[in-house]
Amino acid sequence: MITARGLTKLYGSIRAVDDLTFDVVPGTVTGFLGPNGAGKSTTMRMMLGLDRPTSGTATIAGKPYAALAAPLREVGALLDAAAMHPGRTGRAHLRVAARTHGIPLARVDEVLEEVGLAAASRRRIKGYSLGMRQRLGIAGALLGDPGVLLFDEPVNGLDLDGVRWIRSLLRGFADEGRTVLVSSHLMSEVQLVADRVVVIGGGRLVADTETSALLTGAGGPRVRVRTPSPDELLRSLPAHAVAERTGDHEIEVAGVAAREIGDLAHGIGVRIHHLAEVEQSLEHAYLSLTGPASAADAAVATEGAAR
Amino acid sequence: MSPVLALARAGRAEWSRIWSVRSSWAFALALTAVVLGFGVVIGSEAAGDPSGVTPGSTAWDGARFTGMFALFGIVAMSVVIATADHATGGIVPTLQWTPRRGILLTARTVVVVATTTLLGLVLVLGAATLIWTFVPHLGLPFGAGAEMAGDLGFILGSGALLGVGIGLATRSTAASLVLALALMLVGPLLLAQLPYDWTLQLATHLPGSGALFLIFGEGPSDDMTTTSARLTLAAWGLAALAAGGWRLLATDADR
Repeated sequence: MITARGLTKLYGSIRAVDDLTFDVVPGTVTGFLGPNGAGKSTTMRMMLGLDRPTSGTATIAGKPYAALAAPLREVGALLDAAAMHPGRTGRAHLRVAARTHGIPLARVDEVLEEVGLAAASRRRIKGYSLGMRQRLGIAGALLGDPGVLLFDEPVNGLDLDGVRWIRSLLRGFADEGRTVLVSSHLMSEVQLVADRVVVIGGGRLVADTETSALLTGAGGPRVRVRTPSPDELLRSLPAHAVAERTGDHEIEVAGVAAREIGDLAHGIGVRIHHLAEVEQSLEHAYLSLTGPASAADAAVATEGAAR
Repeated sequence: MSPVLALARAGRAEWSRIWSVRSSWAFALALTAVVLGFGVVIGSEAAGDPSGVTPGSTAWDGARFTGMFALFGIVAMSVVIATADHATGGIVPTLQWTPRRGILLTARTVVVVATTTLLGLVLVLGAATLIWTFVPHLGLPFGAGAEMAGDLGFILGSGALLGVGIGLATRSTAASLVLALALMLVGPLLLAQLPYDWTLQLATHLPGSGALFLIFGEGPSDDMTTTSARLTLAAWGLAALAAGGWRLLATDADR
């Protein structure tokens, strides 16, 4: 369990993280979302004791990270894949880590094999691609076989196979009962893997809820319609429909089924070129929460803010 | 994990960290070439011109001069090792693996200072042996050797401590090297040449003056004694470590 309580970080007059309170529970993948500069990385750094909170606390299994008996065996984290000495080999990098916790050096070769870096392990890190560095960082996080995992943008630089691999890795960890917190700017990835999402904006908590609840709360399914006469169709929609012009000849409608819209268009003689239900995406929900107009209403979707 | 076990493991990791990058080996090899090279120069000159050798001196006396080169190399090596994590961003994983910063500070300081000091002493011992090979009658008496090793160990250890402290305080390799050079060489030489008492006093209290006095027996001021030179050197080393330690213990990892 990861717990943040009133977590706040000021850099001079800049409030990078502002009174964040949320929990990351075991057995789930929790997506950590927010625009650039929202404070995601700073929050994760405070959880790992790298940055000191101005106020508030971040604990893992009830203790500050530095107070854990064997941090590497309890928490695996990948924050910045570029933050490694480029002159060291991948294997040597992990052997240094292993020595800090008395982890058998054979485990280093195991995790290198697991992340697909065994063949490149004796090459210097400066010769690694971003994806390879990412895999090395993940290997470091897995080294101590920890129960809690924190990944900051883990799919950056990974190819499609790598993305699928990390997705199944995260899912597998959560299914084993481990605690997984993953930040990503790829909403589709988070939507595929996260059971819960914590959304922050401007350092403040915007939403802390189940992914499905966030999707439902953002309006449920919508219907996309392409027609040469969008204004005519808009005028004839029932009052409870929520419609939005998304192009010169395209509208999106919530609250009315596609079949109903088709019948309605047929009834008024409006030609339809395209009619389809669009599943609500996390991206849309996220934008509706973090967009300037919606920020004030965002707390509606927040379960954890009052905790 | 008990603090003692964590410290032992962190120390072992520091040792691996030092010797798993080429820059450390390059520094060690360059230092070896310089110190042993000057051992050859001093030995061959003494062999070629025996009249220049002070009566009663030993091979250790010749080797003492090579200690100055070892000192500058060790200060630079300590700076590079201490700043490597901050220069590369490696401090982020380092503090994840050893989040108790007091333990990291202790392990890093002890391992870097002990490693570089021992390296310097071994090289000076090698230089003494080379000098003795060229001029066997100078001899390598054990007592004089032990005394020199004690003196040089203190000088080299203080220099390494200064390098580690400055490195941790500034977190910048370039800034640390410039500062170390100013304190060890440029400051003492420059300030002592200026026509003011206060600059002379300032030069006297810089670590480079203390080190040069302990190696050569001469300093910018006649007031200097072995004790004052030792105190100056130790105080600078400890002050630098205090500054570097504060930066590591009390501030964010890499800001």
